[in-house]
Amino acid sequence: MSQATQDTAIRTGRVTRTLIYLVLLLFGLFYLLPLYVMLVNSVKPLEEITGGGMMNLPQVFTIEPWLKAWSSAQIGVDPTGLKPYFWNSIKMVVPAVIVSTILGALNGYVLTKWRFKYDTILFGLMLFACFIPFQIVLIPMARMLGIIGLAGTTWGLALVHVVYGIGFTTLYFRNYYAVFPTELIRAAQIDGAGFFQIFWRILLPSSGPIAVVSIIWQFTNIWNDFLFGASFADANSQPMTVALNNLVQSSTGVKEYNVHFAGAILAAMPTLLVYIVAGRYFVRGLMAGSVKG
Amino acid sequence: MGFLDIDNATKSYGAVEVLHKVDISVQEGEFLVLVGPSGCGKSTLLNMIAGLEEITSGEIRIKDQVMNGVHPSNRNIAMVFQSYALYPNMTVGQNITFGLEMHGVPKPEREKAMNEVAKLLQIEQLLDRKPGQLSGGQRQRVAMGRALVRNPDVFLFDEPLSNLDAKLRVDMRTEIKKLHQNLGTTIVYVTHDQIEAMTLSSRIAVMNGGYVQQLGTPQEIYDTPANIFVATFMGSPAMNVVPAKVTVLNGRPHAEVALHDGSMAQLPFSQDNLSAWDGRDILLGIRPETITDMDGADRKSSNIAQMTNRIVVTEPAGSDTFVSMILGGQDVIARMRSDAEVAPGQDFMFAVNMEKAVAFDPESEMRITP
Repeated sequence: MSQATQDTAIRTGRVTRTLIYLVLLLFGLFYLLPLYVMLVNSVKPLEEITGGGMMNLPQVFTIEPWLKAWSSAQIGVDPTGLKPYFWNSIKMVVPAVIVSTILGALNGYVLTKWRFKYDTILFGLMLFACFIPFQIVLIPMARMLGIIGLAGTTWGLALVHVVYGIGFTTLYFRNYYAVFPTELIRAAQIDGAGFFQIFWRILLPSSGPIAVVSIIWQFTNIWNDFLFGASFADANSQPMTVALNNLVQSSTGVKEYNVHFAGAILAAMPTLLVYIVAGRYFVRGLMAGSVKG
Repeated sequence: MGFLDIDNATKSYGAVEVLHKVDISVQEGEFLVLVGPSGCGKSTLLNMIAGLEEITSGEIRIKDQVMNGVHPSNRNIAMVFQSYALYPNMTVGQNITFGLEMHGVPKPEREKAMNEVAKLLQIEQLLDRKPGQLSGGQRQRVAMGRALVRNPDVFLFDEPLSNLDAKLRVDMRTEIKKLHQNLGTTIVYVTHDQIEAMTLSSRIAVMNGGYVQQLGTPQEIYDTPANIFVATFMGSPAMNVVPAKVTVLNGRPHAEVALHDGSMAQLPFSQDNLSAWDGRDILLGIRPETITDMDGADRKSSNIAQMTNRIVVTEPAGSDTFVSMILGGQDVIARMRSDAEVAPGQDFMFAVNMEKAVAFDPESEMRITP
């Protein structure tokens, strides 16, 4: 996504350059191969796939598998397609991303501009949250969700992802705000702005790049999560990833590979879209603060 | 009772005391400059006045109101920061009126105040721009506008000119002085630049190591420095401080100083009580501009001493010529007229204006006061 720059550190001759590009091209093709297979096979009738030739272009073009995956495929016991689960995922992802990003921004703001005793230790502990394996928290989390009455709901899932995401979002915003000039906060204090006014009026408007990073990161992770979805959701609140699994794993009837491929692409579509729309901010934001100037 | 009273203010971080019992009273309309090397506590003191740092002990009062623990926005002060601290996401106009908005001033009044200030500082054409589109000097003006619009009791400036290039700095210095003269505001100004301190202030507090070394008018600080630190910090080139011995000749105290060849020059003091130091070592302080050629000597001075010494280096600087020599075993600089006829290696007859000379106790480094 980033722009090609004119100044390169290493100067290369034409031959080496051609070689490098050739190798890169090969790698690129190899990397894109799975996507190609999925795309091609999702628009073929099933017979074409079972007849062999996964790599061939479709002889008969059909969007039937896509429609089926979306609205009528057998998921578990009901022939609902992925549609209701897609909305489950949206209902889980959107609040979880928004809340965890806002909380991360607030944490970063407090940890850098309203320093208190042992704040670095607290930050260290929050960083720890980034390294806790999912599996460890499954049982305690299930118990907690049961106690607060959110077990088996989309809101419960969103809560789990918010809690799990705060470590990352706090890390992003803290590092971003650490290089934000403190004199600006002081100037705003003298101007009479309060804690939240400074946050809303001064800090947040300058947080675009890092907010994008946080949103992409959280969106991708939460959307792609399977374990929490499989563990904490019931039949009505399952996210897209779990439904996709159920679609592919359903044991009745023939395996409709073309429908599976279409479903998999449908499941991956939102994260792809987010990357394409906001991807360049992602690299920019990740680099923010690492190099001066 | 002054307008702004700093009364025995102390600041400690944990067990470390960084500011020791600072006692300064500022009158209304005064321009006080806090000057000192970095780490001397001048910015900490300014932040304490602003309320950005707590006062560990002592009191700070503005208009007889105790300010300890009062929020910065309720002290009726305004501050101009070194980095200008303009809000990058707001236009110049919004930057200027942000404080008024936070204090609940209605929009029409805000606009009126903004336009007045913009006119005063000639930034009317910039009001719709973002700070990122402004030059350094323009940002400086906007930062001052943001302070002015509040109509505060006290203005606080934290090294406001140190981010500007040399020429612009001189222009803005004049501008700040003009502004102070026209508006008659009370200003506390922090800088490490002694020329800024001398030119702007009505009084200077020279700080070092968390202590106020001397508080006085620029003239007092320059002519009668309290100690060697103040003497050498203020003035450029710095005051020459050379070891000397007091001898009483004909009932008058003289400074006996070694010339380049080890022979002694006797320079008569104007300060009579130095007779009490007869036979003892002192440090003699002579400003470069008080060592001249005979024609350039101050005609008003009642005490011009002569000494012949060898010139080591001459540095013509256009307006002046700097001449260096060995005196008391040290390099000493003299500041002469640009057309003084001097050459390196020459034995030259110098005129020393001993009326302006000061003597320091070598033990305590304090000036021996008359």
